[in-house]
Amino acid sequence: MKKRVFRSLVTAAGLAFCANQTLAETTLTMWHQHPEWKSAVEAILDKFEAAHPDIKIDLEEIAGTNYSARLNTALAAGEAPDLFGLPAGPETVAAAEAGYITDLTGKVDVANLRDAAREAIETNGQVWGVPILGAYSVGLYYHRDVFEENGLTPPSTQAEFLEMCTTLKDKGITPMVVPASDGIVPSFMYMMLTSSVMGADGFADLRAGKRKFTDPDMVDAARFLQEIGQNCLQPGALSTPYVEGKALAAMKRGAMMPGGSADYVGYKEINPNVDLGVVPFPAVGDNAPSTVTGLEYIFLVNSDAEDKDAAYTFLNWMLSEEAQQMVVDTITMTTHKDVTPSENRILDEFTSAAKVNDVRVFYELPETGNVWSVVQQNVAALFLGEMSPEDFAQAAQDAVKIAN
Amino acid sequence: MQSNPKNRRSSYSHLWFVLPGLAFFLAVMIFPILFAFGLSMTDWSGLGNDVSFIGLANYTEILGYWPYYRAALHNAAIFVAILVFQHTVGLYIAVLLNEKPRFMEFYRTVLFLPVILSLVATGFVWTLMLSPNIGLINPALRSVGLDFLALQWLSNPTSALGVVIAVTAWNSLGWAIIIYLAGLQNVSEELRQAAAMDGANTRQIFWRVTFPQLSPAFTALSVLTFIGTFRTFDVVYVLTGPLGAPNFSTDVLGTLIYRTAFGSSSFSSAEIRFAFGVAMALLTMLVMAVICRLILKVLRAREIET
Repeated sequence: MKKRVFRSLVTAAGLAFCANQTLAETTLTMWHQHPEWKSAVEAILDKFEAAHPDIKIDLEEIAGTNYSARLNTALAAGEAPDLFGLPAGPETVAAAEAGYITDLTGKVDVANLRDAAREAIETNGQVWGVPILGAYSVGLYYHRDVFEENGLTPPSTQAEFLEMCTTLKDKGITPMVVPASDGIVPSFMYMMLTSSVMGADGFADLRAGKRKFTDPDMVDAARFLQEIGQNCLQPGALSTPYVEGKALAAMKRGAMMPGGSADYVGYKEINPNVDLGVVPFPAVGDNAPSTVTGLEYIFLVNSDAEDKDAAYTFLNWMLSEEAQQMVVDTITMTTHKDVTPSENRILDEFTSAAKVNDVRVFYELPETGNVWSVVQQNVAALFLGEMSPEDFAQAAQDAVKIAN
Repeated sequence: MQSNPKNRRSSYSHLWFVLPGLAFFLAVMIFPILFAFGLSMTDWSGLGNDVSFIGLANYTEILGYWPYYRAALHNAAIFVAILVFQHTVGLYIAVLLNEKPRFMEFYRTVLFLPVILSLVATGFVWTLMLSPNIGLINPALRSVGLDFLALQWLSNPTSALGVVIAVTAWNSLGWAIIIYLAGLQNVSEELRQAAAMDGANTRQIFWRVTFPQLSPAFTALSVLTFIGTFRTFDVVYVLTGPLGAPNFSTDVLGTLIYRTAFGSSSFSSAEIRFAFGVAMALLTMLVMAVICRLILKVLRAREIET
């Protein structure tokens, strides 16, 4: 009798163990740098986990500049998460060269990506990361109700913009909100202004050494940026951190603000009644106004990840039509060929804005990767008048790396 | 007389008791410093395995690296301002509290409270209060007719460092008061009474009898202030960001080293030079150690035996 009971217990324990093994979850850790997308991203991850009950994604959002510090330290210490985001281009290539990430060529299906996105993630025919959280364009947000109340239309040229600055200031309205303490948003403004001058073809020329930031018409872009910085921004712009700037913009403490397609989620979260429109950033002189476009951080698989197959499954699902539809409906623009926003006026407006004169963001390309840092570090001096537009343009030009 | 091996063994046996502490010290202090020193003699960017030995090149580069001197100058300005503030305002408040006024416990708690609060948290509060858009300070100044003082505090290169100093002073005042209060409570009452009987007035008693006996507190506070102000990072990072805005006018060694080692933007790591950052940190540590030693030597020589 005792033997039978013992045998039954052992059998039950064995069955329980096997059942447990069958249902065992693989947990993939994942870091990204947009805490304001938390609820939207978690909704997408819930869908994935419902479709793949054996894989769980443990997501951690790390804000802004802390992201690089934490990720670089974790990578060097061999403690980085299974999946993490990096900007496409030089940053991803550096991680690949360091042996931190897995080659995804042939493991993830990139056939449905739009051509520009596929081109951006491929380096010498290899794919190291994929844009599962889409792409973004940066342009000029404006409060439609403020413009309507004051009988204004969004500016598209330098003259219109500066005239509008004066008009709005006379009415006691801050023309533009720019969080400039870390130099990031002004750097995007400089990219858009120079892009309005050179266009996509001119940017290719710049990367080939045929065009320069120090060309007189390009120096005008730095001069316009200085005029904006000195005359059109909210008080204390140079010490306004990103979060405060975003809140000020959402709460209508300024009529306009430069921003990306992904920022809209944050504005709505701060002020659900915000009524925004989007246009390309006003052009230097009489050029065509411009937007810049880049991929959101592309996601890479840590070379130390224990269950790489689970990671590939996740990335492939994220690239699917189902997941990308959620991305475009709740977060930002998609890179999927067959997906369009169901009902997202802002993204439609961004798409229209980007049709005029759209240039890729500088930091995704090896020749102009360093320009970003130089502009970011010098823009406060430009705004304060401690650096001339000519010197600013020269510093940007000095950071261009022309391939031999 | 020669000691036998047995005696020698017993005379060194106490070292076994030191061993755990020594091992811990070696593991968490000496080894990391040696490792960091090794790293500082490379060109490692902080990412990847591309490392080359470059000897002392990072250190020689620092000697001609203007941002390092600019940041050190800001640290020095903060140190001097805080030192003066603590040895004047801190001492004055400590003397008042030493008279044991009513509600002394309350005053002491209120004045010490900023010390126990996180500088990151208080930095955020100060950022919000000083904001020209949503802050409390400028509207408060305007409401009492001080419109001319309602400035863009942290955006103006001439006032931004002053604000950093003010927040640091507010945060560290409690330390000065507590240290001086402890010193004042050790001053012999008999000496003061004797001076009074000899005809000394209150001022003479303070400067001739009390103050000289506070010299150990003066020394301790000066050294702690030096170390604290040259290590400052969090308050600057929170108030003015990793670039020490505006235009590096509040950049200190802490933010410079952080920015060099980890970068200031999540879009590009082009500016990151980890090994160079480590070299700056080690050089700063060495210079601080030497200056600390000098301060201690000078101030100890002036201390009187109590």
